[in-house]
Amino acid sequence: MTFKKSILSIGFAICMLTGCADSYHWTASHPAYHKAPYGGIAVTGIENAFVITRSNWFAKRLEISTDSIQIKGTLHCRNTFATELRKAYGNLIVIPDSANTKFPEESLKLDERIFIKGHIPEQGVAIKDTAGNVPPVVLILHEFIIGTDLKRENFFDYALIHNESGSIRKPDNVSAIFSYTLWDNLKQRPLFSAVDEIQQPITTYKLANLTNLIQIAVQKIRKNIYEGVVK
Amino acid sequence: MKKLLAILLFLVAFASASEVFFDSRFTLWKDATILIWSLDGNSPISTNEFCLSLRRNNTGIGEPKCRELGEWERDTIATRYGSWLSNNLEKGLPSSYLRARHPGMAAKIQVLEDNIVLFLAPQGKFIQVAVFDETAQEPKAAGIVKANSDKIALGDDIAATFFDKRTKRRLTKEERLKMQTEPDDLYKEVPNLKIWAGVGVGFSQAHFPLTPDNWTSSHTKSRVKNYRATKDSVSLWNFIDDADPFLSLYAGLTWHGFIGIEFMYRYSNRNMKIDHSDTVYKELDHWDFGQHDIGLNVLLSMTYPITPWLDITPLFFLGFQYSFYVEDIELKKGVKEPSRAYKYRIKFEDLYKGALVGIGGQFVFKKHYGVDLRMGISSRGRDLYEAPSPDAGAAATTIGKSTIDCFVSLGLEYHWTL
Repeated sequence: MTFKKSILSIGFAICMLTGCADSYHWTASHPAYHKAPYGGIAVTGIENAFVITRSNWFAKRLEISTDSIQIKGTLHCRNTFATELRKAYGNLIVIPDSANTKFPEESLKLDERIFIKGHIPEQGVAIKDTAGNVPPVVLILHEFIIGTDLKRENFFDYALIHNESGSIRKPDNVSAIFSYTLWDNLKQRPLFSAVDEIQQPITTYKLANLTNLIQIAVQKIRKNIYEGVVK
Repeated sequence: MKKLLAILLFLVAFASASEVFFDSRFTLWKDATILIWSLDGNSPISTNEFCLSLRRNNTGIGEPKCRELGEWERDTIATRYGSWLSNNLEKGLPSSYLRARHPGMAAKIQVLEDNIVLFLAPQGKFIQVAVFDETAQEPKAAGIVKANSDKIALGDDIAATFFDKRTKRRLTKEERLKMQTEPDDLYKEVPNLKIWAGVGVGFSQAHFPLTPDNWTSSHTKSRVKNYRATKDSVSLWNFIDDADPFLSLYAGLTWHGFIGIEFMYRYSNRNMKIDHSDTVYKELDHWDFGQHDIGLNVLLSMTYPITPWLDITPLFFLGFQYSFYVEDIELKKGVKEPSRAYKYRIKFEDLYKGALVGIGGQFVFKKHYGVDLRMGISSRGRDLYEAPSPDAGAAATTIGKSTIDCFVSLGLEYHWTL
């Protein structure tokens, strides 16, 4: 039995060495991240994070004109996102993007090949809300890409980002790919960062489905933030 | 009560001790320039006294110079990073999490040249200490020392905790410039062809170390009676000595540092295992065989430059060899006519074929002078498969059909590259 086990473990080791296991890490926690936010949170980035790809496809189904799908669609997403987050954290402070986008864009490493790109506050400078208060924890939403049949490795694995996907005639899923950082605003350090992906099967696509997509995303963010705590 | 007091005393002693969170061995220069960076411009130590503390605690430090780092104290970017560092410096946090992200701050650290920045920030009963040099955008060492209003004692504490190490001579401007443009010592192109030749000594034996004796005892304990009789004749070790030193000469070459071939020759002298209780040997003066092995190995190797003067090449080899035996036999003086048994004594095959397999390593000093260590297994025998012939039953048994031994060897080599 032990012999069998050792054979298995050798096989596993060979498998690891030759790289047949999927080795992406999509989340990264700071060693000092010991407590997930509870009750209150601040959020920034939601004014500019949302992007809808395949405008025509969405415009047709959501019955919004192609010219205004980006504006109206993303506004809907942004409002849903804030509403949904408010349901979870009673005391939600929405900080204008400009409070954070004034800092230079940097990349945050999650994995050997996965890097998040986004604005991160300078060391020693706390973000303030419109009232001038300093919220202790800020959820920075870097990017929220909505499209069809998207894969996050094509966006965040630097070895794959130049790959062009073939045109797909009939999409199977509406996808959302979003990257975010839970920012310790008092000590100015990233507590938790992640890239998430949601696939939502398409039957008929209406605005309610888009609302649902954002709701699932918020739930996923909350779950990840909670699970990312370093015990 | 006493126990409680002891625990309290222990806790106090523990709390008062200075503590190093991490120290990644920054270079401490002789006659170092230490720049003391405190956030509010109000340094908890005195610059002059700190220099004296350094000299008291480290005799090798020469004549250090200390000054306050006013240009960082007045700078917004540095002050922000400094207060952030003070806020984030925690025990157990790896130094990479303390990296200065702001490009302006990174640039400031990069132009420090060989000056050392000593960051000091009071935090309650302690002073946070971090040491920066030009090589990294994060502190090279960090920790805490107990706060002390006595600036001399505090300086001594810091000097003893963070600056108590071997010093190096500071380079002149020209030397620094030269260092920057100097090629990497360990940079080396893999030569297309590497050739070596060497002489070695070794030892081979039939019994494999760490294996039970009874695996080989039927061969090793065998004795030859009447010039030809043994229990069995499958191995040559039934007839001749199975543990002897050998001498080897060899030369080889490696292509592109990876695959190579090697020609080798080995000689060893093997005495016959005669049964001395047999009276027939009374006429015999000596009887032994010179064993000559000629072989060709294929090598797979990889060279690792360890220091500028030493390369280590672990290697694996697999090859074949031909062995032949030259008999040396003589009767005692005065014996005129040898016995009948002598005339019909055992004869070995003209030639034995075999294989070699093993591992080894070449340690090449100063690019040319090598020391070579090898260990492996070798075999000698006849073809295992022979076409059946009608008179197979009548043919004599082949002596030494399967002869296996293991060996270790040490060689001295000279290497060339082409």
